[in-house]
Amino acid sequence: MFSVKSVSALCGLMLPLALSLTPAQAAATVYPLQLTNCGVELTFEKAPERAVTLGQNSAEILLLLGLEDSMAGTAFWPSEILPELAEANEKVKRLSQEIPTLESILAERPDFVAAQLAHLLGPESKVAKREDFANLGINSYVSPTLCTANHDTGDVHGARAELWNMDQLYQEIDELSQIFDVQDRGQALIADFKAREAALRARVSDETADLSYAFWFSSPSPEADAYLGGKNGSSGFIADLLGGHNVIQTEVEWPTVSWEGIMAANPDVIVVGQVALTRGWELDNAENKIAFLKADPAISQLEAVKQNRLVVMDAQAMNPTIRTIYGAEQVAAQLEELGLFK
Amino acid sequence: MTTLQRYFGEQAGLGLFLLISTVLLLLAVAAGTGIGEMPIPLDTIFFAVTNKFGWTAIELDPIHQSVIWDYRLSRALVAACCGAGLALCGAILQSLLRNALAEPYVLGVSAGASTGAVSIMILGVGSGAVTLSAGAFAGALCSFIFVALLSDGARAGAGKTILAGVAASQLFNALTSYIVSTSGNAQQARDVMFWLLGSFGGVRWPEFQLALVVVVIGFLVCMYFAKALDAFAFGDDAAASLGIPVDAVRVILFAVTALLTAAIVSMVGSIGFVGLVVPHAARFIVGPSHMRLLPTCVVTGAIFLVLADIVSRIILPQQVLPIGVVTALVGVPFFSVILYRSQRAK
Repeated sequence: MFSVKSVSALCGLMLPLALSLTPAQAAATVYPLQLTNCGVELTFEKAPERAVTLGQNSAEILLLLGLEDSMAGTAFWPSEILPELAEANEKVKRLSQEIPTLESILAERPDFVAAQLAHLLGPESKVAKREDFANLGINSYVSPTLCTANHDTGDVHGARAELWNMDQLYQEIDELSQIFDVQDRGQALIADFKAREAALRARVSDETADLSYAFWFSSPSPEADAYLGGKNGSSGFIADLLGGHNVIQTEVEWPTVSWEGIMAANPDVIVVGQVALTRGWELDNAENKIAFLKADPAISQLEAVKQNRLVVMDAQAMNPTIRTIYGAEQVAAQLEELGLFK
Repeated sequence: MTTLQRYFGEQAGLGLFLLISTVLLLLAVAAGTGIGEMPIPLDTIFFAVTNKFGWTAIELDPIHQSVIWDYRLSRALVAACCGAGLALCGAILQSLLRNALAEPYVLGVSAGASTGAVSIMILGVGSGAVTLSAGAFAGALCSFIFVALLSDGARAGAGKTILAGVAASQLFNALTSYIVSTSGNAQQARDVMFWLLGSFGGVRWPEFQLALVVVVIGFLVCMYFAKALDAFAFGDDAAASLGIPVDAVRVILFAVTALLTAAIVSMVGSIGFVGLVVPHAARFIVGPSHMRLLPTCVVTGAIFLVLADIVSRIILPQQVLPIGVVTALVGVPFFSVILYRSQRAK
């Protein structure tokens, strides 16, 4: 009676419903909630109702938690919103695509501010320091990746000694879901990400080829050297998840590599980033990147280019964010079509 | 007219000018406190300030209170201090180096500061324990020491000192580029640019206290040597023949301007144009005597930067233009008028 297709379509429809209807596994938050965030003691008397996010990842996490009605504004969007969140995001005021001002944040009368990047909130920020909000009784939260204790491995600095993983992101999702008393959704989201991570890893077997990947973020111009994702960043994580490795072996987070260097490294697959910034770099666009690779007399001789092992990925996935897992899936799907991944 | 009468006449004229400028400065700071993105009623603005002085105790919206007092007023006052300091440094360096193009960054201070800042921001020197400002200040001093060594404590002459400054700027800019291109990503490069272009966004009351102290001390030291600076205009030999310890005065003044500029750069980034142009404008108004020139530079520079900061905050909605962009955009037309009028006066 039911075709396999319609059943799976039904399951797809049910999934979000199932997530929200799952009986409470996680306890409800008991307020006042106390939390230590990067050395700052926070006390929440109730769930925030007018949150402002600084940084795309913070905004997307809150939207994934279904909190658009508790958000008063967002700022700093280097990339397009995740398509499935676009509708929810419409409801939230965008203060600025770029770096916002403190006054424009305060004008929204926030009761909570969550930030992703150090230059948007922190001691060195030109926008705001955590004390600015604390003095007004506004709790602020910064991504655990920014904590001073993590400076040695954090993404604020040039190099990373160990391969990045999703743990700090899970911590961030968990803490934010506690703050907003949506722990069910938080745990469901973490479980979903973990399942997707595991699903990709499960597809790797002894037979999976250990492919070498070059992750090309962008280049200021065709003549310029290319920005690649480094070995231990989220690019390296994606390669590892797919059973391969990053062809770039430097620990620098974002090495600038010459095309001669890339040819010498001879990657099996080139992942070309789709960058959504409007800064006028021709090679931010993935199609332009592919056209460039195929047109250049020397680079077009690379095995990866000759065999068309060119894979498009949203460049935001090369930043350590929730988008990383989406990027890994995007790459996996295209590798499957190329017959390189099962 | 006897010399005495003329002397008093000039002093009175200068006094009147400084009085008017100080009133203008207060008005500019008031405007800086009143104007902003968030619409706040005029009486709220007034009471927010008087509340803090303890003159009134009116219940206000805490967000309004904080925006006015912690954000706008402190920012306007820091802008005033920085404008005063930069103009003062520019005037001193133009006299010491006998070069009309000299400005606060001529000795490589801002290039050194940027190297210090990227060492902290990108390389993670000091792993979080050292602030960006401290790094920038250290970098600025390194550059100044480099220049001092190259120019033999500025004894090598004005021309060589300027060349040493150029060499230092090139060296430290190259180091900055090296660090950014080997270790940074596009986003970090942007952050560095944003930081270096100058902004008053990060300043609060502690910065004002620091800025006020360094500017006041710098001003007093410079005023103490004002007569000596007048003599420098006729050359080192002429100054020496008037009994001025030329080398000592020069080293002290170079050190004072370097420290002052380094402190300003480390707080708000490098802000061009003020230090170059305000001293010239001031000279057109009150003449070359340093007793008159230096106070004039201080108030004019302060007013100018407070106004420029207001423009930088309101020109783009919900976003701040780098202050250096505004100082040039506002400053060039303003300076053109002065230049044009001074030529006609001749």
